[in-house]
Amino acid sequence: MTITKKLDGTNLTVSLEGRLDTTTAPELEEELKTALDDVTELTVDMAKLDYISSAGLRVMLSTQKRMNRQGSMVVTNVSDVLMEIFEVTGFDSILTIK
Amino acid sequence: MPEKTVRQMSKLERRHYSLAARTFRASIVSAVIIGLVALIVGMGLFVYVLTTRYIDTAFDTSKMAMSITGKVLDIKPTVDEVMSIYRSTPSEVLQTVENAVSERNEWGTAGFGVEYKDYFQKYHDIKFEQDYLQILSILKDFKENSRADDVYIGMYDPDSDRLVFIANGDTSDETGSLIGEFESVSHNEIEKFMNWDGEKRLFQINNSKRFGLMATSGLPVKDKDGNIVAFFLSDIRLNNVVNGTKSFFVLFAVSMFVIVNAVAIGSALYVRKNLVNPMNSIAEAAASYVKDRRAGNESTDHFSKLNIRTGDELENLALVMADMENDLADYEEHLTEVVAEKERIGTELGLATRIQADMLPNIYPAFPDRPEFDVYATMTPAKEVGGDFYDFFLIDDNHLGLVMADVSGKGVPAALFMMASKILIANHAMNGKSAAEVLETVNEQICSNNREEMFVTVWFGILDTRTGLIRAANAGHEYPVMKKPGGQFELIKDKHGFVIGGMAGMKYKEYELQMEPGSKLFLYTDGVPEATNSGNELFGTDRMVEALNKASEGSTYDVLGSVSDAIKNFVQDAPQFDDITMLCLDFIGGKTQIKDEAEDM
Repeated sequence: MTITKKLDGTNLTVSLEGRLDTTTAPELEEELKTALDDVTELTVDMAKLDYISSAGLRVMLSTQKRMNRQGSMVVTNVSDVLMEIFEVTGFDSILTIK
Repeated sequence: MPEKTVRQMSKLERRHYSLAARTFRASIVSAVIIGLVALIVGMGLFVYVLTTRYIDTAFDTSKMAMSITGKVLDIKPTVDEVMSIYRSTPSEVLQTVENAVSERNEWGTAGFGVEYKDYFQKYHDIKFEQDYLQILSILKDFKENSRADDVYIGMYDPDSDRLVFIANGDTSDETGSLIGEFESVSHNEIEKFMNWDGEKRLFQINNSKRFGLMATSGLPVKDKDGNIVAFFLSDIRLNNVVNGTKSFFVLFAVSMFVIVNAVAIGSALYVRKNLVNPMNSIAEAAASYVKDRRAGNESTDHFSKLNIRTGDELENLALVMADMENDLADYEEHLTEVVAEKERIGTELGLATRIQADMLPNIYPAFPDRPEFDVYATMTPAKEVGGDFYDFFLIDDNHLGLVMADVSGKGVPAALFMMASKILIANHAMNGKSAAEVLETVNEQICSNNREEMFVTVWFGILDTRTGLIRAANAGHEYPVMKKPGGQFELIKDKHGFVIGGMAGMKYKEYELQMEPGSKLFLYTDGVPEATNSGNELFGTDRMVEALNKASEGSTYDVLGSVSDAIKNFVQDAPQFDDITMLCLDFIGGKTQIKDEAEDM
């Protein structure tokens, strides 16, 4: 999986590419641990994300919880496959999907 | 034939690799080559020096003889007398005499003609003159007392190119020359003697039949006017040189043999002590190291106990090997610990797998005394333990709880979370709560203490075994699949709540599914639709529904088997990433009431 970060002041855009699963989720978690400091607006771009597993959802959930405390978070460019996963798991009601 | 390893060789074969023997041979070969060169150079020097010394001796003898003679008398009258007799002799006679002389020199004294005797008779008177006797005595003295083999006076006759002997210190008949005897000489050679500068040692080396190699050296005597009166000459036979060379050669060869062997043995011993023995001890240490290792002997002082003090690369090697041995021992110890730890974890994981499997109802038929429904479920974890689980249990006589759940993540953390979730769900369900209430309560409990932020998706339904009505709630879990009697399996897009453990205060909507006799319900985790083949293609719900319909009229066991086979065919050799869990409920119906006797068990 490829993680691309673009910081603009306190706005951070994280673009994900590939599969977010058990093997790659810890990588993203580690990456965001420090990257999220002082960020008030987080955008997660999932345009090139093929798949998200429950481990990936867990990272999205903890990130959402963190951003609830320090600002806001939006998820963009969600494909149909990912949207179905979000709907099934109820994540569509937790995440702000645009 | 494949080459043998050193370990397979016999002792005799290994000996071929002895460096000492190689050094020994190399030393001998190089010493012999050096010796031969030295021998050739030495012999050349030896011959040169000895010959020069002989020539010097001959020259000095001639010079001294000349000097002494000159002090005592004047030899010119005697020389002139002899030369006049010679010159007055007809050349044919001289030729005859020369032939006879050469015959004498070759054969001894036999067969001399009249002319020979007559010729020498002419000099008879001179031999008894006072001067001649004195000259002869001086020459004899020199011959006797010097190393020269002959000391004599001769005069050159330029007309016939012959050297005429005047007087000869060697008076024996066999080797001495007679007065008036002569021999042919080359003009060029005598020229050197005639034009002597007074300093250079004149010499000439001849190979005569009679005496072998012979050096002649001498100098001319001149009168007041500078005319040459005669030559004082000395002969030295060089057979001494040849003999000397022989003994020199023998002495040299013997001493060289001794020295070469001594050097070769010495260097072989040196190599053996400083190279071969240390190397052998390192090799032996390595061999015994391996041997002990294989035998399970853990002693670590194979290389460490080597005491190699050569002060060179070998000592270095031994030290490095000792270090390596210690490092290996440390490493091995560490590795043993790691392996033991791994084995322990493996054992514990195996145990955990069994405990987890035992936690899930796995005895079939699950409810042999309940003909109105049948349940069958399987779980195949991707790792030793999984995060998926299913559950089914009778809440009371008429209510069957059905659970299908998937914990985020895999392995031991997921398994621990799964155990807690399973127990909580079952406990609350047994308290008679509705499906939605159960999920809400469990969610609150998990969220109250969920630092790892794990969550679990749960489908939970309660079947009324009398009516076939299922009241269910879905906490972020996959869509259930249901088949009406005589119909096909179809996904039911039910209402989803959020996953359990994700966020506190979640509410779950409850909905109803009406089972009729012949209806089947299929529950699963995402491991089924997300089973992936080597082409990274997902199995998908379409293939899943297709597989379900292949066995739609079969038993619950057949239904799960059909899906399982379809997944296997699809993924082929690709590794299983996620736990695969499935449950099938077959509602047979036909009973509205359960007899009281059946419940107490």
